[in-house]
Amino acid sequence: MSILIIQILNSLFYASVLFLIAAGLSLIFGVMRIVNMAHGTFYAVGAFTAAWLVARAVALGVPTIWTFLLIPLGAVVVALIGVVIEPLLLRPFYRRAEEYQLLVTFGLLLILEDVIRLVWGGLPLSADPVMDLLPSIHIGGLIYPGYNLVVITVGAVAALLLWAVIYRTKFGVMLRATSQDRRMASALGINVGLVYVAAFAIGCFMAGLGGAIIVPTQAAVLGMGIDALVLAFVVVVIGGLGSLQGALVGALIVSFVRTAGIQFFPEMELAVLYLIAAVVLLVKPTGLFGSV
Amino acid sequence: MHEPSTIDRRKFLGALGVTVGGTGLAGAGLVAGPQLVKAATEPPKGKIPDTPYKTGHLTFLTGPAAVLGEPSLKGHTLAAEEINAQGGFLGKRKIETITADEAAGTDANVKELRRMKLEGKIDLFTGVISSGNSPALGPVSEELSLLSIFVDGCTDFLFDKAVPQPKYLFRITNIQSADGITSAIGAAQAWPQVRKIAHLHPDYAYGRNAAEHFTLAIERLLPGTQVVSESWPKLGTTDFTSHITKILSSNPDLLFTSVWGGDYVAWYKQALRYGLFGKMKVATTLAFGVAPHALGKDHPEGVLAGVHSNYHFTYPGGDRWPVNKDFVQRYYKRWNEYPNFQSEGAYVTLYMLKKAIERANQLIGGWPDDEVIISQLEGMGYDAPSGYLYIRPDNHQGYKDAVIGFSKNSAEYPFPTWDPDRIITIPIRNITAPPNWPKPGQGHNESTAAADWIKKTWPKAMG
Repeated sequence: MSILIIQILNSLFYASVLFLIAAGLSLIFGVMRIVNMAHGTFYAVGAFTAAWLVARAVALGVPTIWTFLLIPLGAVVVALIGVVIEPLLLRPFYRRAEEYQLLVTFGLLLILEDVIRLVWGGLPLSADPVMDLLPSIHIGGLIYPGYNLVVITVGAVAALLLWAVIYRTKFGVMLRATSQDRRMASALGINVGLVYVAAFAIGCFMAGLGGAIIVPTQAAVLGMGIDALVLAFVVVVIGGLGSLQGALVGALIVSFVRTAGIQFFPEMELAVLYLIAAVVLLVKPTGLFGSV
Repeated sequence: MHEPSTIDRRKFLGALGVTVGGTGLAGAGLVAGPQLVKAATEPPKGKIPDTPYKTGHLTFLTGPAAVLGEPSLKGHTLAAEEINAQGGFLGKRKIETITADEAAGTDANVKELRRMKLEGKIDLFTGVISSGNSPALGPVSEELSLLSIFVDGCTDFLFDKAVPQPKYLFRITNIQSADGITSAIGAAQAWPQVRKIAHLHPDYAYGRNAAEHFTLAIERLLPGTQVVSESWPKLGTTDFTSHITKILSSNPDLLFTSVWGGDYVAWYKQALRYGLFGKMKVATTLAFGVAPHALGKDHPEGVLAGVHSNYHFTYPGGDRWPVNKDFVQRYYKRWNEYPNFQSEGAYVTLYMLKKAIERANQLIGGWPDDEVIISQLEGMGYDAPSGYLYIRPDNHQGYKDAVIGFSKNSAEYPFPTWDPDRIITIPIRNITAPPNWPKPGQGHNESTAAADWIKKTWPKAMG
């Protein structure tokens, strides 16, 4: 029984992070029609930035309780990178064929992966002090780290906030209008350029947040962004690219199925996710909530 | 079927030559250090050209495996700088190195090898880390008649099947099957009461090989053990929460894992928070193998910490084996970090080549042809920092005694190292198939010659 509870918590934990990555990917695609191949690497940059900040703060003698605040800072840094990249690098490509956009974001992925290695070196970075601030909870004879519950909460709150922003605010209306018809939105007086920057920054912030909140539980390692990108694609293939609900449901399906695979069919762990994605592609090629 | 005979476990471990505590360098010191110095002081015979000696070093310069690639190139560079400071090979030919990124993928690596030979005109091809790449590159080296000394890429498959009769190709690090067997011997020696075993391995050739050979060996060393849990995460996974919970749910006495690199760091940090280390013994193949300083002092003590069965810079320690002490000091001075097994392998590669070139020169004078250099590399024994290294002439594979230890924190280093009193060494000939043992496909269909050899010749331990 306690195993079941912990495996459910593990799945929700994993789903939270997957949702943060996939929702940003979906949002950027929904508004700008760009498949951002570098999205997973933004997640990695968030992780490395947060881990580095925490390590610096601890080295400087900052009380560990304050290091909590450095986690969102990692996400903010990634959002700022997004603010620079969108107008400079992506905007010239919106009118070009999709292949160019894929190439330019893939190039960005390769560059950022190398930048990470240049800036932080090849070794894993960790942010343990944040993790150890919260006590473990006991479930049956087993223990579960309290911090992981924070990650689950952050994922849930992020989903709610994002939904509220998109469907309940004026900015959300502008965002949806721009995504439906860019030229009409522009004709109606919406500053489309600004909406694009904002949407891209929000997407980057979410990816950065995903990396920043997960890094205390494990470590920031080279290549983590590529792994995340592949999983985020599986999520949006299942849920439907460009759909917020799709990202949420896709993240939950992927993480629960993965956990079930690990627990019951270890040999299938790798295959099972792609199997679901393949079935979804066969039955409903737009994904469960996709409309493209 | 070969019904294994039975033997008392202590006698079995004794017959395997297992040494605990690291007092002796089994097999080492057969070639005394001073002889080397003497060989090096003989002046070269004949006229030596002063053209540079070009080497191509292929290793991971980007991606997660760069934690292994960087040390490899650093070891190579240090050796090249030292040799060049003495004028180069035979005092004349300075070593020049071109590099390429192994992360480009197997096909690109094969193209790069051809380009290095045809365009870069390299004399030596070296480096190579991935077992996925070495079987593709090896045959090309042979085809190009290019002297190649792989530092790693340790799969048994390379010399079992891909290049069964190598001429130009050599490899320095111990073969892969030694990893699983070494960990099994370490576990059986330390924890004979173990009955239930859980496995956690990256789902690719290395993880599969480690699991298979560990299981083969442990079935002989600790009969009656059973596998109670298996996990096969993708290489590059950093979320292990569900795997850890699954392992805990199966209540094993021992977890055996070949997860490595950043994955291992992410794994142990999560396992700590789930209380895994308090509930079972843990044996690894590569916990200490990647970079000594990659782990933090939060890493639990008493874990059987593998180094790819090759080398950890603290062993042989102290003044017992000055070759190692000197190497570690020079490496630290140059790079401000401690070497790992790739650093040592790449470093030794160039020095063994140097020795082979010098001997070949003494034999024939002038700059020796590759054929003569190869004849000197075959069967060569070398006092490496890790101990005595022997190149077997039949398969061109480097063999050195396998070594493994238990993690312990000390005041001396800001990361965990081995407990010096519990280091386990095993003579390599006792855990690898002997020369001319039938390779897979020659009368048996095991995955490796080593697997067949264990099944047919190892007894079963009792008690």
